[in-house]
Amino acid sequence: AQICNAFSDAQKSAAGHRKLLVELRKIQEACCYEPTWLGNPSRQEFNEDDFNVEIVRCVIRLMGVKRSEAVGDRIVRFLGSFLRHANEKDAALITESEIEDTQSLSETASTRLTSHILTILLQFLASKEKTVRYRATQLIAHIINSLDSIDDEYFHLLKMGLLKRVRDKEPMVRVQAVLGLGRLAGNDDNGDHENADSDDDDANGLLEKLLEVLQNDPSADVRRSLLLNLPLTPGTLPYLLERARDLDPATRRALYSRLLPALGDFRHLSLSMREKLLRWGLRDRDGNVRKATARLFHDSWFEDCAGRQLAGEDYATEESVAPSIDGVLELLERIDVLNSGGEDGIASEAMEKFWGGRPDYHDSISLQDPFWHHLSPESVFLARSFNDYCRQQPTGKLETLIEEKMPEVTKFAFFLQRYTNSLVECIRRNHSKYEGDEEEDTVEQEFIVEQLLHIAKTLDYSDEVGRRKMFVLLRETLAIPQLPDEIAKLSVEVLRDVCGVESAGERDFCGVVLEAVAEVHDAIAVDESMANNEDESFHSAHSEFSDSTPIKAKVSRSAEEDEAKAIREIMINMKCLHMAQCMLQNIEGDLQQNVHLVSMLNNLVVPAVRSHEAPIREQGLLCLGLCCLLDKTLADENLTLFVHCFTKGHDALQVTAIHILADTLTTHPSLISSATADAALRKSVLKIFAKGMKADHTPNVQAAVTIALCKLMLTSVIQDEDLLKQTVICYFDPATKDNAGVRQTLSYFLPVYCHSRRENMERMASVAGGVLHLIVDLSEELEEGEEMVGVNTVVNMLVDWTDARKLVVQDEAAISWDEVGKKEVKAISGDIHLDLAGSLLERVISPGCSKEDKKVLIAMLGKLYIATNSKKEKLQSTDELVVEAIGHGVAQDAPSRNALKKLRTALSKALGEVGKVKPISED
Amino acid sequence: ASAPAQSKRKEKEPFEIDFVSPLSPALTEMLCTPATSNAAISLPKTQWKSKTRNLLPDDKHFNSRQLLRLFLKPKARMGSRRYGLG
Repeated sequence: AQICNAFSDAQKSAAGHRKLLVELRKIQEACCYEPTWLGNPSRQEFNEDDFNVEIVRCVIRLMGVKRSEAVGDRIVRFLGSFLRHANEKDAALITESEIEDTQSLSETASTRLTSHILTILLQFLASKEKTVRYRATQLIAHIINSLDSIDDEYFHLLKMGLLKRVRDKEPMVRVQAVLGLGRLAGNDDNGDHENADSDDDDANGLLEKLLEVLQNDPSADVRRSLLLNLPLTPGTLPYLLERARDLDPATRRALYSRLLPALGDFRHLSLSMREKLLRWGLRDRDGNVRKATARLFHDSWFEDCAGRQLAGEDYATEESVAPSIDGVLELLERIDVLNSGGEDGIASEAMEKFWGGRPDYHDSISLQDPFWHHLSPESVFLARSFNDYCRQQPTGKLETLIEEKMPEVTKFAFFLQRYTNSLVECIRRNHSKYEGDEEEDTVEQEFIVEQLLHIAKTLDYSDEVGRRKMFVLLRETLAIPQLPDEIAKLSVEVLRDVCGVESAGERDFCGVVLEAVAEVHDAIAVDESMANNEDESFHSAHSEFSDSTPIKAKVSRSAEEDEAKAIREIMINMKCLHMAQCMLQNIEGDLQQNVHLVSMLNNLVVPAVRSHEAPIREQGLLCLGLCCLLDKTLADENLTLFVHCFTKGHDALQVTAIHILADTLTTHPSLISSATADAALRKSVLKIFAKGMKADHTPNVQAAVTIALCKLMLTSVIQDEDLLKQTVICYFDPATKDNAGVRQTLSYFLPVYCHSRRENMERMASVAGGVLHLIVDLSEELEEGEEMVGVNTVVNMLVDWTDARKLVVQDEAAISWDEVGKKEVKAISGDIHLDLAGSLLERVISPGCSKEDKKVLIAMLGKLYIATNSKKEKLQSTDELVVEAIGHGVAQDAPSRNALKKLRTALSKALGEVGKVKPISED
Repeated sequence: ASAPAQSKRKEKEPFEIDFVSPLSPALTEMLCTPATSNAAISLPKTQWKSKTRNLLPDDKHFNSRQLLRLFLKPKARMGSRRYGLG
């Protein structure tokens, strides 16, 4: 009875558990260790068995308690704590008295009790009732996790029992089963090598099975529980980390917020894994996952680095902040900033989170002269990321901070010059080395210069002295033939800023870049001729003495020479074209008005496009495309060329061509959309889009075409119904299942397109019937193993895309849209759905309509929104069509009949509100 | 509709387990009825395997920014200066 009371009290709140379990232990001791309690006669009548039976009685009462009841969980916890407490006490008794007698774990009253409870619970595991299975599994899992050790005999039984429950129908039972097994798998792992052969196999089997569940269980709760309860070993880690891309956001977040911080030093992870985890986490679609990743990065990963720095420094100096900056530098090194700090790399985003999450470090960074004298890839990136962060903050406060910390432009230009020079010298030394000599690695130096240029893009050039200095420096830099492409590109971008935004600035900018292009061209040409001359004289001198067959040698040598010369020429041209491209990307003025540009077009770009060398031709094409953006006439003349490149080109060229076409058409929409546009040209453009959307075998091309088409449709440059229909089909077509680029673009595009403009929505409505027909066909032609969304889903989406209430933009037909009142919403013209109803009905009635089509079309009819403010005539004529359709007997099953009835009712209601009630004759 | 639901919730008494009285027949039956077959309480075998390993597809991070910029000049925004949409 006292036992029952203890349990009764325990269910009410967890607060008294401590006290209650001490009491319960006293009862147990009274029952089991009678000799020590002889003085208490009232308890003598109970022995150990009675006590155990009584406990099990209570356990049994727990079994019927629903999962939602908190009292059940409290009892589970209470029992767990009690068993642990009792086992510990018993173990303590043993160490006092019997430790010499036995080496292995001996049996005690509490282990007997535990076994007794577990035996009972095991029986309940296969119960028909899910609640019983749930509580039994839960209690077993909890006991396993509460105790230090489990009897070998039971270990096996429990494992078998729980393994069955891992496949339980109910996710809640599976969750509990994996909680228990996770611990068992962990125990195994620590090596119970006594019965090595069979048990080890078993153990591996268990872990393997759990990893399989981790990957395959349909319930996210199960996967998440496993994620957090599997032992962390090199063997399990890849499976656990893979959950960073789990379908379920909460599971992904659990990985970042719980598993990874608990994992220990992140530096044990491979470089590529660190990069992936950061990239996946920081770019996750779920904000909470992003937050958890940011915290992981700027707290635990940073502490891993800073901690070591502090330890090395002696803890006495802990309060000084200097070592912590070293910690940041190490953190950057550990995420391989040299690679992850490039364009689109994750390091910038990670550091943005760092500065955001650690405002305590804003003041501690020093950007004084000594800092700039000894730049490393890590320290320069630190400065760049801090600079970016401060300048991006909305309040000007941090901008002042960075302005104070950063050197003035003139000084900064000197630093940039110093690092650029040393890089260029290094590259030159490498060039002059002979084959086989080891080259100096310039990667780090290039990285430093790139980061400095990134900072230079954010500087304020209103100070004329600084501006001048930077201008001169960049002009000289760009003329260096050995300058790496990425640095040339960044230099051009900075130069654009330095020159100022007005058109005079742009003309200056073009002049300087093209001057540099000419210099680069000449410099390489000079190098070449000098090299040739040296070569020539050396050889001719040599041949006078020893060459027995001078003529033959000369012929073969000149062939080699020709080849080398051709390669050099290609390199010169590519370099010049690249610079031209960078320049063209940064200007907007009219091409014809700028003599520099006209001469560049004629002397560099046009010859390149006509070149016999494919790389030059393609790079030239890109430049030509960029020129077309600046000149409509030029664009008009070359559209056919771009179309031709798409039709005849290889994959990569097709992508370039479609990019050029899309940009040209967005920039000069009238080329195909105006009344005077060349009809044949228009047709050929539409044709390549149609063709490109079908390019299933070249996913890159298909994705590029999809994005391009979406842009042109959103900007209303292309307003073609057939292409719209094709995009919708493409979205659902199983053939594009693996083309994430296509699918994700379209899932963004389709609702935005429809909901943003009434004309777009009307266009969608007018193709909806045809789309459904094609979808029905597709779903009937599905081959084995192919999957496609259900036709019903397609119907729902089409309904949504054509629902006028979803239009975001105010237009004449929806002037009274108001977010506040629902009454206002009603005033929106629902004619789109009404017209759609009409056209769908006509399809249903037409003789060629197949049975499957009818079913789908009618299902859609039942889901349309009929507004009460539509014109009476329209409502009436649609109503007549419904009546006609019913008369034709098109609805051959109950859902179809209901759908039509529903539409009819909606129409009648709308007609009623219009004022003229038309009697409805139910048939 | 929310008001009555709320009052209903209030009426519900806090659940307690009765540890003292004998087992109710209902619970006894619950405890003593084993499942008719293993399959009846198990996950169908078709759900044991997930084709995707329950992982997300590769995220292309498609967003409005990509629609608003030119392919050839990623830094220039459409609609800025002369790149008007007309």
